[in-house]
Amino acid sequence: MISRRSMLRTGAIAAVATVGAPSILHAQTKTLKITTWGGKWGDIMKATVLPAFEKEFKCTVQADQAFPFMPKLQASPKNDPLYDVFHTNSNEQWSALTEGLVMAKITAKEVPNIADVYPYAVSDKIVGVTIFTSAIGLGYRTDKGIPVPKSWKDLADPKLAGQRGGYLIPVNSLGQCHLMMLGKVYGKGLQDLDAAYKALEQLKPIKLVDFTGQMEKMLLSGEVSEGVIHDSGVLRYEGANRQPVEFCSPTEGVMALEQVLNVTPGSKVKELAFSYIDYMLRPDVQKLLAEAVWYSPANKKVKLSEKYDARLLTTPEKVATLIQPDWKWYNARKDDIDARVTRILKG
Amino acid sequence: MSKTFDGKVVAVDGVTLDIAAGEFFSLLGPSGCGKTTSLRMIAGFEMPDAGRVHVGGQDITDVPVHRRDMGMVFQSYALFPHRTVVQNVAFGLRMRDVPRADIDRRVAAALAQVALTGMEDRRPSQLSGGQQQRVALARALVIEPRVLLCDEPLGALDRKLRQQMQFELKELQRRLGVTLVFVTHDQEEALAMSDRIAVMNRGRVEQVGAPTEIYGRPRTRFVADFIGEINLLEEAGKPRALRPEKIQLVPPAQARLSGTVETANFLGGATLYRVQAGGRIWLARETHAGERSPRSPGDPVGLAWNDADIVTLES
Amino acid sequence: MSAAANRKPFDAGRAAYLALNIVLLAFLLAPIAIVIVFALNPTPFISFPPVGVSLRWFEKFFASSDFMNALWLSLWVAACVLVLSVVIGGACALALARGNLPGRTFLTAFFMSPLMLPAILTGLALFQSYLLAGIGRPIWGLIMAHTLIAVPYVLRTTLAVLHNFDHRIEEAAAALGASPARVFFEVTLPLIQPGVFAGGVFAFIVSFDQFPVSLFLVVPKSETLPVVLYNYMKFDLDGAIAAASMVSILLALSVVLAMERLIGLKAYVKL
Repeated sequence: MISRRSMLRTGAIAAVATVGAPSILHAQTKTLKITTWGGKWGDIMKATVLPAFEKEFKCTVQADQAFPFMPKLQASPKNDPLYDVFHTNSNEQWSALTEGLVMAKITAKEVPNIADVYPYAVSDKIVGVTIFTSAIGLGYRTDKGIPVPKSWKDLADPKLAGQRGGYLIPVNSLGQCHLMMLGKVYGKGLQDLDAAYKALEQLKPIKLVDFTGQMEKMLLSGEVSEGVIHDSGVLRYEGANRQPVEFCSPTEGVMALEQVLNVTPGSKVKELAFSYIDYMLRPDVQKLLAEAVWYSPANKKVKLSEKYDARLLTTPEKVATLIQPDWKWYNARKDDIDARVTRILKG
Repeated sequence: MSKTFDGKVVAVDGVTLDIAAGEFFSLLGPSGCGKTTSLRMIAGFEMPDAGRVHVGGQDITDVPVHRRDMGMVFQSYALFPHRTVVQNVAFGLRMRDVPRADIDRRVAAALAQVALTGMEDRRPSQLSGGQQQRVALARALVIEPRVLLCDEPLGALDRKLRQQMQFELKELQRRLGVTLVFVTHDQEEALAMSDRIAVMNRGRVEQVGAPTEIYGRPRTRFVADFIGEINLLEEAGKPRALRPEKIQLVPPAQARLSGTVETANFLGGATLYRVQAGGRIWLARETHAGERSPRSPGDPVGLAWNDADIVTLES
Repeated sequence: MSAAANRKPFDAGRAAYLALNIVLLAFLLAPIAIVIVFALNPTPFISFPPVGVSLRWFEKFFASSDFMNALWLSLWVAACVLVLSVVIGGACALALARGNLPGRTFLTAFFMSPLMLPAILTGLALFQSYLLAGIGRPIWGLIMAHTLIAVPYVLRTTLAVLHNFDHRIEEAAAALGASPARVFFEVTLPLIQPGVFAGGVFAFIVSFDQFPVSLFLVVPKSETLPVVLYNYMKFDLDGAIAAASMVSILLALSVVLAMERLIGLKAYVKL
């Protein structure tokens, strides 16, 4: 009885203490609020990249790795946004732009290292600045006796019925890229949706996932023999985690999956935000992250080690195989496309 | 005392009771007659709208329940389910800060009184209904209350056990000399146990008296009708009543009234007849030594009675 | 009569009932079995049959400061939520059951309403309110949010106990000389305690497992375990997730068992 009562009392005091504790405010140092990825990328950011940045710029960085970033940014006041730097894939930057949540254009004037990036990184298909890109192509098993794919059309091989993998297009940008690519390969171009729908129909039966990570696992476990995936999702399984899975860049080209940074217009620390983007484009930072997660750096001056250089998009020729989706165009039609593909892939 | 609930239902309407020390006093009446509310006002659970409650010459109307020193026994027993028999009985003593050794002694004595020695460490859920009622009794008596209040305490027991407990309770009350206020709707129970009975109806007391008086000399039509069976008569514009056992069944020739047997209910020691005579139904009780009475429905029969046995009721 | 004649005839209804129970049980337990296989299998993906038994994912889980911080935060938050919701929910239930308050039905529905609202909306709404109020997203804000969701559970279980509560037990105590305060502590509280603490166990688990409400209310470096797991899954879908799930399940289970030992949830409640 006594122990129970004292236990309750201790708990109550502890609860009150927590509630009463004032939040610690960093009055002196500036705080930069960013979004960033988790996983291996997040580990390196937290262990190396961000501490070095904080030291150099005498600030603290609050890095949010918890999805979903967009609704959180939307819900926060525009003149005091939850984030200063917004890191997402390209398509989300376009949605954010239409709501006035991010800046339309960033130039070398604010971020000097932009002078050194490949043109795709700041092309008219990009809102903000691309710091890395992945290539979306085909992943395939080398142990299932299937022919080595060369073209996007190889995914339609009847032998792959039920063995091929794709995405729930409404929720996954790789699936959306794949749909546009089907328009290009089977029709008049990326925006030929009718051809894309027809081609999509031909891919049934197909295994569908919503997370990109799930596709990686299905390839690793052999649950699918061939599927749409980005190069990093295959190449980063090295050493002990290696499985007989290879990545193919189809001859028609690969779709770009850009990692984009942007600044929120209401940010109170805009200078620091631009400095952060500039810092992320520095060759040494780019090399560190690129080799950690197998992303192709956007800065032309980065020299990767041989192993990475061989597989990633590090030369103007290789970069030329990148096809950038027009997300502005896609997002404007997303609802119709979602309805249509859901109908096609149902059953 | 008077008590109104929700400003409309008058539960108790000007009840005045004078209960003697050491008396076994019953409040008897149908449900809703105000007997329980009266008891709860004595206990202090309800505050009378008007009137006072005195015990031993002292006005306790404004004394809160827990300082009234009264024992209370409920129909549902209201034992503490999370405590053992001993802890239940010791509760009242603990509240009075009685020394530990005294508590142990008095609890043991109380349990012995209700024949529950050996059950000390059981929980209420492990006891039978009768045992639970005894625990409730011991718990109420151990504090040596000035008054013991019982609200239908035997109502949840089966007939056999109820009769046994009636004897035990009566015996215990006599032995301890405690003043006991007993609420019941069971007239047999009230007649069997009480020194005096107050018959209540619609918030009012109809009659107070000893059981024999209540039974033999009912003052009102309600009391006459509520206690036992009775033949209600109308003579010279005045209501009168005649108990069934005061009517003799005789051969029609010697009868004051002759008729036919309608039904005959064999009760063991007696038979209760419904007799059709003189344009109405008469109830007549005939005691006998166990052999079945020879009269059957349809038999002609004569009724005889002594006019002195007819009770005149208040109109 | 022979033994054979005594045997019960085959009862189709009973057999179907039994089969239904087995199917339901299998349906409930199968995911846990899969999680165990995934947690112990050394490959970074679910492979069946498993290729071996290894604790590498458990090692990864316990070695990761992200996971450990999240685990402790979740436990800490859940403990606070337990205490707060027991006090608030218990008090509310008593007030609703005993207080003779006007509009009791409405009030009860009002206190239960957090259960009816999609939790993700509760989270988003609180997130916006906190930002508008300019208080940011402090840890106590998260605890309050979880408490909001947890209180109805305590309220429910306590009201259920109070509903079956014989008021005369308290009257008996009062008649025996217990002051109102002693009646409360000696009789009322011990009797409603099983209901209150059963609700407390729910509150703990609701908080410990809480994802939708936490989603918007956690801040960088103070993320609860479910949020960390969800985000981990987006990048590394490996056995560490399964190991974390196992640890969560075992922790929740041990809390329930500890409460049961400490309080005796069913000691004197007729369930």
